[in-house]
Amino acid sequence: MTRLNRVVTYAILISFSFMVIVPLLLLLGAAFSPVQSGRIDLGDLNYSNFVNVWREAEFGKHLLISLRLCTLVVAITLVITTLAAYAIAILNVPGSKWIFTIILAGLMIPLESILVPLYFTLRAMPFGGGATTLLIAHVGLNVSFGVFWMRATFLAIPKSLLESASIDGASPFKTFRMIVLPLTKPALITLGLLTFLWTWNDYFLAVILITDPNQLPVTLAIGEFATKYSNKYNLMSAAAVLVALPVVTLYIFFQRKFIQGVLTGALKG
Amino acid sequence: MRIMSASPSLTRKKKKSGSKIGFLYLLPALIAYGYVVIVPTFQSLWFSFFKWNGITEAQWVGLNNYIGFLSNPLIKQAFSHTLVLILFYSVLPISLGLLTAALISKTQIRFSGFFRSVIFLPQILTSVVIAVIWRQIFSTDGILNDALRAVGLESLTQPWLGSFTFTLPVLGLAGSWTTMGLCMLLFISGTANISTELYDAAKLDGAGAIREFFSVTLPGLRPQLAVAMTLTLIAALRVFDLVWLTTRGGPGTSSITPSVLLYSKAFTQSDVGAGAAIGVLLAILALVVALVIVRVMDDKD
Repeated sequence: MTRLNRVVTYAILISFSFMVIVPLLLLLGAAFSPVQSGRIDLGDLNYSNFVNVWREAEFGKHLLISLRLCTLVVAITLVITTLAAYAIAILNVPGSKWIFTIILAGLMIPLESILVPLYFTLRAMPFGGGATTLLIAHVGLNVSFGVFWMRATFLAIPKSLLESASIDGASPFKTFRMIVLPLTKPALITLGLLTFLWTWNDYFLAVILITDPNQLPVTLAIGEFATKYSNKYNLMSAAAVLVALPVVTLYIFFQRKFIQGVLTGALKG
Repeated sequence: MRIMSASPSLTRKKKKSGSKIGFLYLLPALIAYGYVVIVPTFQSLWFSFFKWNGITEAQWVGLNNYIGFLSNPLIKQAFSHTLVLILFYSVLPISLGLLTAALISKTQIRFSGFFRSVIFLPQILTSVVIAVIWRQIFSTDGILNDALRAVGLESLTQPWLGSFTFTLPVLGLAGSWTTMGLCMLLFISGTANISTELYDAAKLDGAGAIREFFSVTLPGLRPQLAVAMTLTLIAALRVFDLVWLTTRGGPGTSSITPSVLLYSKAFTQSDVGAGAAIGVLLAILALVVALVIVRVMDDKD
């Protein structure tokens, strides 16, 4: 009986893993394929597709745009949501219950229902249509999750620790910097990783907000490239591999944090 | 110093200045959130009462944008596609996730970390990558057709993503592929939390595997089930990227979704009011889905 259980368990896990891995291997194979159809011939692999994509899609340029965007979004999100969550969870600012409820409501508002006016508001800005619009949109959209996540982290800090700091005469800012911040480092790393993932992976916001072809983030640039060369599977696949690479690399190093973050984030409701 | 700050008047003063600083701490987040989320939410509602092409003066039309939906076949088609997508994004992954979780739950697994990471992987891939993978498998000279030809089933080959019948289900499968891992991991971690005493009691009562599943596992997974349902139903409601990147809603309108319709209304057909109205409709539906799920899940307690 237990033996049967074991066999069934591994059979299930292995077949699910196959379902994930096989399409990814096909993509990787096609990316190294010299023929347009992307047919894989293990004896004839070369990396010229990557070189071609890099050149034709101006990949380097869009990569830098995405990297800059992600860095700024992560940095700003971490700072503003940490401060806000600290005010709510620890300083207990008057009205913080209300404020938190309103911020939490943002988790329930689908992007579609704010997008049309957001497009017109941001377009009217001097930087309208450029990467700065995306930066602002991402930061604003990350507030709900960030505050939710950091508030929960702060609430887990033992009260006695904070009290003893304030008895010792530490200012709120000093308490924040010397005691709270070091204790919340793991949570901050997870939030940073998730924010990076969401910003890097975004396609929907970018396709609507970005109109300047010189400021396309990498997903959008590759999306357009893939549509333009939709019959050249080898090139398309190489482009897709390049887009996925940074995120997959991060995932390999921080799997636990990603999974824990997404699952906890999912459980918020 | 210590004694001074312990005196009552001073602590009170300190608290007050603390809350002022606290408000400053809140300010940047509130400004960003208000500007990007709160204000546009109400603006959407406001826009949806107008006929506006995005440039010239807008005209108040009251509820006409919404009333127009009732007689608009495209809207009906888009939402009927949502129902099909729910099968693939929600019903299929949740059923399979439950089944696997039930089968796996009580076995010690070696390499469990490895399996988790692999099965979860599609969740972190961007839609552009998934679109390329799917096109490669399902295109006319793609891998699926090659495989069918290789085993002599030439007659079954199809231009899968150019077919009025198959496009939507094929895109749906991409959705199953991405949400399956999330559902499965949610349920596996959920079953791990169900106390083994409950299983022992069920066994004492002579419950078989199936009764045990319905009387112990399923009720124990209620919170995870609520989460999985909310997430996947809302994902199905919002499908955009994959459709836009592969078929743009085609062939014809055979794979159009509400979000794709919103995009084309607001940004290509210059019917901004109608686009905003679709957004409002989606927000209401998402809210209803969440509320119903919370209600139903709480009721059973």
